[in-house]
Amino acid sequence: MENIVATESLSKKYGKKYVVKNLNMNVPKGSIYGFLGPNGAGKSTTMKMLLGLARQTQGDIRIFGVPVREENRMKILKNTGSLIESPAHYGHLTGRENLEIICTLKGVPKTEIEPVLRTVRMEKQQDKKVKNYSLGMKQRLGLASALLGHPRLLLLDEPTNGLDPAGIQEMRELICSLPDRFGMTVLVSSHLLSEIDQMATHVGIIHQGELLFEGGLADLHRHSRLRLKVRTTDDERAFRVLKGADIPVRYDRESGRLLLDSEEDACVLRSVRLLAEHDIGLLRLEELQVSLEDIFLKLTGKKVSL
Amino acid sequence: MLIKCIKAENMKLKHSCIWIACVAVPVIPAIMGTFNYLNNLGMLTEGWYSLWTQHTLFYSWLFYSPLIALYCSWLWRLEHLNHNWNVLMTAPVPVRDVFLGKLAVIFRVTLATQLWVGVLYFLCGKFCSLPGMMPGNTILWLLRGTLAAAGIGTLQLFLSMMIRSFAVPIGIALAGSILGFLFVSQGWELFWPYSLMMAGMNSNRSDDVLGGDILPFLISLTVFFVLFTAAAVLCLKKKDVRA
Repeated sequence: MENIVATESLSKKYGKKYVVKNLNMNVPKGSIYGFLGPNGAGKSTTMKMLLGLARQTQGDIRIFGVPVREENRMKILKNTGSLIESPAHYGHLTGRENLEIICTLKGVPKTEIEPVLRTVRMEKQQDKKVKNYSLGMKQRLGLASALLGHPRLLLLDEPTNGLDPAGIQEMRELICSLPDRFGMTVLVSSHLLSEIDQMATHVGIIHQGELLFEGGLADLHRHSRLRLKVRTTDDERAFRVLKGADIPVRYDRESGRLLLDSEEDACVLRSVRLLAEHDIGLLRLEELQVSLEDIFLKLTGKKVSL
Repeated sequence: MLIKCIKAENMKLKHSCIWIACVAVPVIPAIMGTFNYLNNLGMLTEGWYSLWTQHTLFYSWLFYSPLIALYCSWLWRLEHLNHNWNVLMTAPVPVRDVFLGKLAVIFRVTLATQLWVGVLYFLCGKFCSLPGMMPGNTILWLLRGTLAAAGIGTLQLFLSMMIRSFAVPIGIALAGSILGFLFVSQGWELFWPYSLMMAGMNSNRSDDVLGGDILPFLISLTVFFVLFTAAAVLCLKKKDVRA
């Protein structure tokens, strides 16, 4: 599948500290790529590097198949819409006047303003000065300006920040509709796992500047399949026996949990037989559902909001 | 692309208070100059030219550079606030044109200021019962002073781009102007951007300080313009954007 964004060993260092380290990110065409990570993980810095707002310390970025360099800057920016950090706006101007400035800079006809305002449901507020807007309205205006000119790629940094629950739902539905309606590829960052779960087709999990997981949302869900917790009369010996027989098993000494990473009947049957053959008594066999949050916790060692 | 940037910058001036400063500030040196002229009629005997010396003494020395600095600070303040740097630097226009677009707007507002200064000079002359029209020379000096804005405007636009504070670049312009008086008194006005407008405006002089030879003045202006524009564009290209 063609990648709209691809980075290779992308790194950014501030002083001696790496904010982004060896990031290999691939955003497939037409996808909604959820860029997930706790606050301060390096999401915004990565997005800023993609847009040329920050220079990478090392590594390469390719957008639309061309390297992000000075000579390709205009071509890339012409086809990219973005909403980075917080929604930008000129408070002394009206919403419509703000969009007119973007139209002028992007070389887009002003007739495009009306449709994008309708898309973000802001037609009625367009003649109000933006300084009187609520944060949610500013966020929607920011999205409207990112949508101007029908960009092929949309970069949205925490777009639901500051929105009320209804606004979040509305924004989510809007983002989900973009690839089908306009053929856009969307890279959306969030620190909320549930949000990415509801929006994205692909996920990249970043923590302390490093990409810990990348793949389809379905792949991530596959990690959340059932596991079996086993209690025996001698868990340590049981672990050695099962491991020796190449059965997918893990033993956490601290919690004393013996986990069978398989729910296949044949595997369970074989394990029980092996334990009996080695005179290890089986006390309990318990089903465990590993949630997405557990996976995230395992990957990042950090709790996320749900 | 530059036209697009200029258009966008002009749109940002809508509903802006920059025009209030443009109208109100030149009134202060005009009143001060006229008052000074009327109080020293015994020494100031050259009519329109004497009034010019008094008007431009205060205007060029204390007000012109800080006023341009104020325009530049205001224009960049729009970008420093509300994360607008992100939008400005992700617009599909060359970085150079982003800076030159702002400079063109500064030049436009400065031209309006100078025209207003000319009108004030004429009105004050009439108020002082000076006969006839203002001399043609003074119009030329006003235009030369406007050209000098290309030097100061570029420097101030660069400073306000780098310094997020609104007031600090204006303070620098005021200090630069006061120091500029020293450069003019030593005859080094072409080597200090803030004294260029005093030379251009022929401030506090009734005979032409440039002696009719405008070429060194234009060369000096061009050097400052190229130098500060290059510095600004380099910073825009190389520095990370901090919105």
